[in-house]
Amino acid sequence: MRKKHSVVRTILFYLLLIAMAIVTLLPFLWMLSSSFKGSESIRTIPIRWIPEHPTLEGYRAVFNMQGFSFARASFNSLFLALMCTVVQVFSACMAAFVFAKIPFKGSGKLFGLYLATMMIPGTVTMVPNYIILRVLGLLDSYTGLILPSLANVFGVFLMRQSMMTLNDSYLESAMLDGASLYRVFLVIVLPMVAPTLATMVLLAFMGGWNSYLWPLIVLTSTDKQTLQVVLGNMNGLYKNKEHVLMAGAVLTILPILLVYLLTQRKVDSGISLGGLK
Amino acid sequence: MYLPKSTGRKVATAAFLAPSLIGLVVFCLIPIVSTLVFSLMDYDMLAGSMQWIGLKNFVRILTGREFPQVLLHTFTYLVLYLPLILALALMEGMVLNHNFKGRQVFRTIFYTPVITSWVAAAVVWTWVLSGKYGLLNQMLAGIGISGPPWLSSKEWAMPGIVFAALWKDAGYYALMVLAALKSIDPAYYEAAAIDGATPARRFFSITLPLVSPTLFLLMVINVIYGLQVFESVLIMTDGGPGGGTTVFLERIYKYAFDQYKMGMASAYSWILFLLILLFTLAQFRLQKKWVNYDA
Amino acid sequence: MKKLLALVLAIAMFLPLISVASAEDVTLTYACFSAAGAQEETLKKMISVFESKNPGIKIDVQLTGYADYFTTLATKVAGGNAPDVFEMNMENFLSYMLRGQTADLTNLGIAKDNYSAGTIAAVSSDGKLYAVPESFSTCVLIYNKALFDQAGLSYPTDTWTWADAQAAAEKIRALGDDIWGYNQPITYNEFYKSIASNGGSLLNADHSAFTVNSPENVAVLDAMIARVRGDKHVMPTQEDLAGRGDWDLFQDGKIGMIITGIWAFPTFTEKCKFDWDIVTEPGFKTKASFFFANVNCISPSSAKQEAAAKFIDAMGSDPDIVQLRLDASWELPTIADQTKLAQYLTITPPANRAAVFTSMDYAVAPPALQESAAATEIINNVLSTLETNDMTAQAALDEIQAQLEEADLLKK
Repeated sequence: MRKKHSVVRTILFYLLLIAMAIVTLLPFLWMLSSSFKGSESIRTIPIRWIPEHPTLEGYRAVFNMQGFSFARASFNSLFLALMCTVVQVFSACMAAFVFAKIPFKGSGKLFGLYLATMMIPGTVTMVPNYIILRVLGLLDSYTGLILPSLANVFGVFLMRQSMMTLNDSYLESAMLDGASLYRVFLVIVLPMVAPTLATMVLLAFMGGWNSYLWPLIVLTSTDKQTLQVVLGNMNGLYKNKEHVLMAGAVLTILPILLVYLLTQRKVDSGISLGGLK
Repeated sequence: MYLPKSTGRKVATAAFLAPSLIGLVVFCLIPIVSTLVFSLMDYDMLAGSMQWIGLKNFVRILTGREFPQVLLHTFTYLVLYLPLILALALMEGMVLNHNFKGRQVFRTIFYTPVITSWVAAAVVWTWVLSGKYGLLNQMLAGIGISGPPWLSSKEWAMPGIVFAALWKDAGYYALMVLAALKSIDPAYYEAAAIDGATPARRFFSITLPLVSPTLFLLMVINVIYGLQVFESVLIMTDGGPGGGTTVFLERIYKYAFDQYKMGMASAYSWILFLLILLFTLAQFRLQKKWVNYDA
Repeated sequence: MKKLLALVLAIAMFLPLISVASAEDVTLTYACFSAAGAQEETLKKMISVFESKNPGIKIDVQLTGYADYFTTLATKVAGGNAPDVFEMNMENFLSYMLRGQTADLTNLGIAKDNYSAGTIAAVSSDGKLYAVPESFSTCVLIYNKALFDQAGLSYPTDTWTWADAQAAAEKIRALGDDIWGYNQPITYNEFYKSIASNGGSLLNADHSAFTVNSPENVAVLDAMIARVRGDKHVMPTQEDLAGRGDWDLFQDGKIGMIITGIWAFPTFTEKCKFDWDIVTEPGFKTKASFFFANVNCISPSSAKQEAAAKFIDAMGSDPDIVQLRLDASWELPTIADQTKLAQYLTITPPANRAAVFTSMDYAVAPPALQESAAATEIINNVLSTLETNDMTAQAALDEIQAQLEEADLLKK
């Protein structure tokens, strides 16, 4: 009697999940299918999920882009994404640790200031930011693109929430044993927030990899351009190359998927309480 | 946390904060203060002309005919989006936390909207939300409801955009919920099992409290981001139809880069800022009631 | 200390070598967009032609897609880092010129006679030259011959009026539920152009007042609205399009006539499986067509204006560069010598390419308003609702007139 009940529940569960999965996947499938369409119409009614004449033309066009090297642009994007991730993760985690566990006068107000900076949209700070980069001589340089990552407030907030749930006694006993703040941070705190940390790595990587408008404006040398910018440039006035755009969009997803799979494995392995007695 | 007092500690604390804080001052605070100054000027960004006009920009915005509409549209978005994104993220996170067959596959599937480009997503969603041939209306017809012409109608365009945005973002926030769930020390559950606690009891006494800081994050972030909704609106309706989905960011962008009126754009941003600040402060006040930080 | 001295000496020794990138060499930054997506190679060739003819001037190209070009450029100008030379299209040229961001080229030796009089007039003001034209394009009526045959209609001619077009559109619409007769979106752009063919305009002669709701304008809008309302409306609405574009429908053979740009030719050549041709757009009392031009400007803050002037003059009229443009079918050069353009006429489809040149005779420039962006938005906001509501043309234009006056856009 009990077994039957749970079998029905399992089936319902999977049915619901599959239905949701199909809906979720539709746009992605459209993107994938469009990337293989050549000269046929991409937007049709009803939507043609399987291309009439599948072709790799779109992908070929991306690899052989006029005036840009796909390999170079991909390398640039990778470099930018990795550097942004490293800078963001370190600066955000260190700051989060202070906000989460080290009380000092005015820390609440300072954190409030951090949050407040998220409430002004980037659209209006773009010109002042550009001027700052110009004054610092950082235009057309990767330093100019990476340095602003120091100010990642979302990351600070994310890690702070996670670190606030850590048990103080673990940390205090380590400090009493004479461990430096740095050691406590590295050896105890970070492993204990490993899942959120891994997630933050993914988000930072995504942000860096997908960044478009800022590299577009700041970088002017052709060989410094990132992949997203180069692909975006193909969106010319003529609007007849959507299959190429979609091929580009599919290709840019691949590294993110890779980082996703890697970090999610870390998330699954849960927190590590090693280093504690 | 108890910190034995010493100047070493103070220096270390400062060192931990420094990179983030310096970045904040240079790349956030200074530009933000500039925009405050701009908001009090008649600043044509392209001509480079700046003239002090005090609060005129603010008055013009607040007494203009479009402001009530912008407020309405932005809040419609928020009111519809916020509860649903929280619910979806929480549900998805919890479901994916369970060990069931094919879990990894489904997990990756639910993540794909996050990495799908908005351009591609907009094409499919425009079809889904189409009045005549759209998937949504066909499904609704199946249960006897005649659906509206979503994106072509002033009233229903925003809800349509909310659907698309929920689809795109659920996976993103579910990741954070999942990470929070995975961060719960399994010792708690083991102890509860020994005590013979029911699943419901475990959820309310262990899971929910320990996930509440992340849920709080999601709420605060989604108010801050939600009031700044932009890309989805721009790409699905561009503020249309007939000005039916104008929102703060769309206005700000158009004032800044179509009309080059940086003063107006900045003033708009500061009005938005005040709104967001109000909501965020309220949330922080209320957090004591339900967010649990003790381990 | 000794080490420092040694270092300074070492650097000093190398300085002369470094600055050998001669005192002559000038590098110009050139921001542009029209080559993106299809013509990057052509642009490269043009640049190398110029550089080989002008040793000592190097061009640093900053190519951006159209969608983000103006945001990027405005940020750079506002941020004090404007490029030496930048490309503009007509609508934005006015915005930049009226705000003083295009240098006065009058005394920089541009050979004005090389260019067609109309385009030079369009980039001049008060007797001063503010840009050098580079290319032009326009919109024409493109029609699907197969659908016309199917409906038993004779093909459109250059003498067609809107009434003729409407009649043909209705017959084609009757061919099927998913077949449409005509497509010309009800937008600001189409509006300001079409009213010109009926003797109307958005502003009065001295630009001191809006004349949006004049009878001539109402008549035009009436005709536009008639196309999208009613059971058998001949033009697909946004709803009918359901995410597709007008080009998509035309390529699929679902629209009889479409008003669109000549830049569609390569795409339609590639994708249409039926015969198609063009004529000049039908007008009301007279004809009117778009004047789309890309022009090159020099930034007033540039320190290299003489070299820049050489560059943009070459891009607009150097015979080898013009030939590259023609060979690549990359819009049409704006040179005065129309005989050079003969080669454009020989490419088919469409067979009736001469219509493109005829269209230029009826070219209408965009209204010269500094606040054109604000005006465009007000107008489009009202026009875009006309597909789905019941507003009459008179009511719509009265509403637009009222809003424009309220917004006080004409203060000098």
